[in-house]
Amino acid sequence: MTYRKVLAAVNEFSNSEIAARYALALSKTCHAKLFLAFIAEENIHKDKLRHAEAALERLFIEAESNGIEVENIIESGEPVKNITALVREHNVDIVFAATRREDVMKRFFIKTLSRQLMMKLPCSVAMVRVVKMGGLHLKNILVPLRGRLTDLEERAYFTARLAEGFNSPVTLFHLHKPITGFFHGELYLTPFQREQRIPKDVEEFREHLNRYKIPHEKKTGHGRIARAITVEAAHKRNDLVVMGASERTLLSSLMKGNPVEEVLRETPCNLIIFRARKKGAL
Amino acid sequence: MNIHNLSKDAVLKSLLTSATGLAEAEAVKRLHEYGLNEIKEAGKSPLYKKFMAQFTHFFAVLLWFAAGLCFLSGYFQPGEGLLSLGIAIIGVIIINAIFTFIQEYRAEKAIEALKELLPFNVKVIREGQSQDIRAENVVPGDLILLSEGDKVPADARLIEANRLMVNNAPLTGESDARLRSHEAFNGDYFESPNIVFAGTLVVSGMGRAVTYATGMSTEFGKIAHLTGGVQERLGPLQKEIIRVTRIVAVIAMATGVFFFSLGFFIGRDFWQNFLFAIGIIIANVPEGLLPTVTLSLAMGSQRMAKKKALIKTLTSVETLGSVTVICTDKTGTLTQNRMEVERVWTLERQEQRQGVGRREEGVERKEGEGEIFRKNNSLNMLMTTACLCNNATVENGNYKGDPTDVAILRAARGAIGDLKAERIYEIPFDSERKRMTTVYEGSRGKGQGARIKGQGSRGGEGGVTLFTKGAVETVLPLCTRILEDNEERPISDDDRSSIMQTYHSMMDEGLRVIAFAFKETVTVRKDVIARSGSDEAIFIEEIASPSARNDKEELFSDKNNLESNLTFAGLMGFEDPPRPEVPDAIKKCQGAGIKIIMITGDASRTAAAIAKQIGLVKNTPVVIEGHELNAMPDSVLRERLLSPEIIFARMMPAHKMRIVSILEDEGERVAVTGDGVNDAPALKKANIGIAMGMTGTDVAREAADMVLLDDNFASIVNAIEEGRAIFENIRKFMTYIFAHLTPEVIPYIMFAIFKIPLPLTVMQILAIDLGTETIPALALGIEKPEANIMEYPPRPEKQGLIDRVVLFRGYIFLGLISTIGVLFVYFHVLFQGGWQWGMDLPSGNLLARQATTATFLGIVIMQIANVFACRSSRESVFRLGFFSNKLILLGIVSEIILTAFIVYHPWGNKVFDTAPVGLNVWLALVPFCLMLLFAEELRKWVLRRK
Repeated sequence: MTYRKVLAAVNEFSNSEIAARYALALSKTCHAKLFLAFIAEENIHKDKLRHAEAALERLFIEAESNGIEVENIIESGEPVKNITALVREHNVDIVFAATRREDVMKRFFIKTLSRQLMMKLPCSVAMVRVVKMGGLHLKNILVPLRGRLTDLEERAYFTARLAEGFNSPVTLFHLHKPITGFFHGELYLTPFQREQRIPKDVEEFREHLNRYKIPHEKKTGHGRIARAITVEAAHKRNDLVVMGASERTLLSSLMKGNPVEEVLRETPCNLIIFRARKKGAL
Repeated sequence: MNIHNLSKDAVLKSLLTSATGLAEAEAVKRLHEYGLNEIKEAGKSPLYKKFMAQFTHFFAVLLWFAAGLCFLSGYFQPGEGLLSLGIAIIGVIIINAIFTFIQEYRAEKAIEALKELLPFNVKVIREGQSQDIRAENVVPGDLILLSEGDKVPADARLIEANRLMVNNAPLTGESDARLRSHEAFNGDYFESPNIVFAGTLVVSGMGRAVTYATGMSTEFGKIAHLTGGVQERLGPLQKEIIRVTRIVAVIAMATGVFFFSLGFFIGRDFWQNFLFAIGIIIANVPEGLLPTVTLSLAMGSQRMAKKKALIKTLTSVETLGSVTVICTDKTGTLTQNRMEVERVWTLERQEQRQGVGRREEGVERKEGEGEIFRKNNSLNMLMTTACLCNNATVENGNYKGDPTDVAILRAARGAIGDLKAERIYEIPFDSERKRMTTVYEGSRGKGQGARIKGQGSRGGEGGVTLFTKGAVETVLPLCTRILEDNEERPISDDDRSSIMQTYHSMMDEGLRVIAFAFKETVTVRKDVIARSGSDEAIFIEEIASPSARNDKEELFSDKNNLESNLTFAGLMGFEDPPRPEVPDAIKKCQGAGIKIIMITGDASRTAAAIAKQIGLVKNTPVVIEGHELNAMPDSVLRERLLSPEIIFARMMPAHKMRIVSILEDEGERVAVTGDGVNDAPALKKANIGIAMGMTGTDVAREAADMVLLDDNFASIVNAIEEGRAIFENIRKFMTYIFAHLTPEVIPYIMFAIFKIPLPLTVMQILAIDLGTETIPALALGIEKPEANIMEYPPRPEKQGLIDRVVLFRGYIFLGLISTIGVLFVYFHVLFQGGWQWGMDLPSGNLLARQATTATFLGIVIMQIANVFACRSSRESVFRLGFFSNKLILLGIVSEIILTAFIVYHPWGNKVFDTAPVGLNVWLALVPFCLMLLFAEELRKWVLRRK
């Protein structure tokens, strides 16, 4: 598989520009065409427009100087609707967009633009949470993986291409489900026991990375999922975390919590939440 | 490209800002996007939630259920006392919750202490104007102004630096200030001189920097993430208490349900049956266990405090006793952190002399005392260099400054007396260059020591002398000449190898080694010196009139040029003497099967030599240096950690967390020492984090479980001994508590099967469990450690508080003997009162109340014998002495007073449904007490013989 067309949604906020730089890196490694799109809402303030246009211009120059085929799109309208239309019109494979801090502070999956893009776009989506402006050169990418991986092939491809773009190794981080005994409470497994519990999907993910010749290591952890991921990222000074989008329903999130939302709130480094293309879409 | 690799323009571009700073509107927008620049506690659970959790765990839920049933039954069947029983059960839940909360409570202030390290206000440039703003409002892209004394508010990339020196101690643990520059850097990001990190301090100079990370995404924020986010595992005691309460709850519920069903089948009335089931559950549950454990731990922590170990979480008291590995710092913990010059070495005199510095501690040199140095002029020059390339000061015999500088100055003054000279230039010590250089006006005359201005020298001539000291590997390569018999000659390869050999042999003796060199230069004027300084120069204020410029200007314009063609003067070896108590403490640990891992910033040879000196290693240890650790995969490190003797040298505080994590993963119970801000995550991660009370930072102290008041390794070992004793003591009082459960349960069973009058009421059971038992049980908790407690390996993780031995001894052996005595007095009272088999006694009948009182009294009196029996599982009570634990005597007195109140006072009678009994009942129990004691002595004797 390959990405031939990448779209980055840009607005007046600096984090959308940072997010677009990830799109730029991916376009470069995939030799894909990059669309830089700004959808201006009705009655937008001229300052906002100016900022967004300036960002588009900077990104355009940067993309061109990297030899990427690039096109700027400025439209007015409703962002989700227009971006969806653009995706369909240009057969875009993946859209990059930045989450806003206010989206993260309230429950991520309730009525936010990020949520709508995640839910409605027919292509793959990389939602970027930018917490750090500097340091886009990635030293290490942390990829937390759970037991059964949906869209394994595309996720592995996305991770591999991104890692390739930044010449960065990858750490696959698997957390097993807590094991408890009635009389003993939570049981802690040794690294060897945890290794034994690494599911087949993770091994398959590794094989994909091997195929793309991406240097990687696997690590196992334990404890609360979100906390374990943020601690690992802080401890190993990872520059980017790439996670799969949450598949928990609202009810399930309310009952059991939602690790993706928790990592979104607490991440010590930039974070990409990846959702693969919907089957049969486009 | 990363931020430190970029040029100034590229930095501004990548952070979407400019040399005039952000526009106000943009700053507001970014504040909205990135949030406040503040340290937050990630996912902190509020205190009330932690307290409420004590009411919702398994055991508490069971008790709530029982209380609910009591209230329900009380509603349908009033007058059976079920309402008060329900209230009593809720009382038990509350008492247990409070004590467990106290046990686990810990003031989480580590993050608060971290916040203190960030500034309150900061100077930024926005829209070209300098302005003071609150540090929390700094956003990525902000241009910040830094000057001496400022704390850096966020991670930032320098775009201008003027002699800017920053102390990175909160991040790296290194106390030396580091020179910063704005130039692009291609090395490691963390080592980059163009980066300033949040929480660090500007020591001198000034600079401008662009912020690229704020709040929790800074490196400082990562420490907060790790400190607040590390998921602490339950301690062994907490796990055990969960296990014990669940086992007991299951036994209690099963027994209750069994006898309820039995009663149902034999046709007993439902409410009678129900009351009985509740009673048997209450009788089986050791309600006093948690309060007793908590109080025992509290008393243990007090005893530890007396031994200079301050415990912050009560459960840590016991965790200490189960420690299998101690990861310890060297300087200040194993050693005294008191540098002394142990050896000096010059080419001319290769013999090494000892105790150079110690001789003159606090005493001025007397006439003729430094004779040897006068005769040995090379040595004299070495001492002159040591004296003048030094920033320590001495006032009224008191030395002040860096411990190494103090040791050097003390040795030099002892050798050649005071030197007062005029320093005109200094390149301060910096940990990257690992050396410092000073320049003085004046020069050294032939056949003399140094003749420095102000020292009766030829200073007026305008010559200057440069003195350098530093690590051998950085000073020796700068030397092209060497001093021999006070003559300078070119340095040969043989000289170099001789120096390196001496250097290595000194390190092998555990000494830290510093090299000294000097250079005499031609005349240079002070104004030239002042004008030609680089960023690194620190000038003295006095500047002569500006006049001649000459070719010597170059001399100071390039520090590499300045520190070249030096003449090697000699070496000094320093010893940081081990603490005298440490070798014994290490021996104790080794005997107790506890592995000790030294983690030090010192060189590997020095670390290994010290380790040998204090008995930490006996063979050739595995030594891993910081750079090796960085490149080492976890799997390899895991293997290396299995080595019986291992030392980590040239370590940074950040390495500790990795070592601790892997050790814990391998099932070790780890104690780790630390003092710096960056030690906090490791201190939190370890089973026991130990902070240094004297030298530790507030952050380390707040993150730790234990604070060492004297920074002494031996105090850790004393605390471990105390911890082991506490585990044993908890087992002792668990045996004691279990011993009274049998005489509480068996009469109940007889009541169910043989239809005898109720032998014991539920309120009486609670009076025993929560009243009379508490102080004697607590007294068992303060038994002194048994003599050989540090001769056994740490208890295996699977060895719990409760095992078959404890259960058999408590429930069966001691419990059954007690039961015999208790049933004897119960029937004695019944038969004496005219009761016959099968006779039903109505509720509230005096004889029935006297019988239950006899049972209650029987249990209390038998427990007096039990408390002596339980003082040791092996040792004879006659050997321990009946009066050696004063609290037991106090406990027995209090027990008797409380019992007398319950049995003889009308209030006690009313609340507990008792009635007074005669002295004969008390006396009838004495033979059974003696029987119990002698049976237990027999058991111990058999055990000792095995």
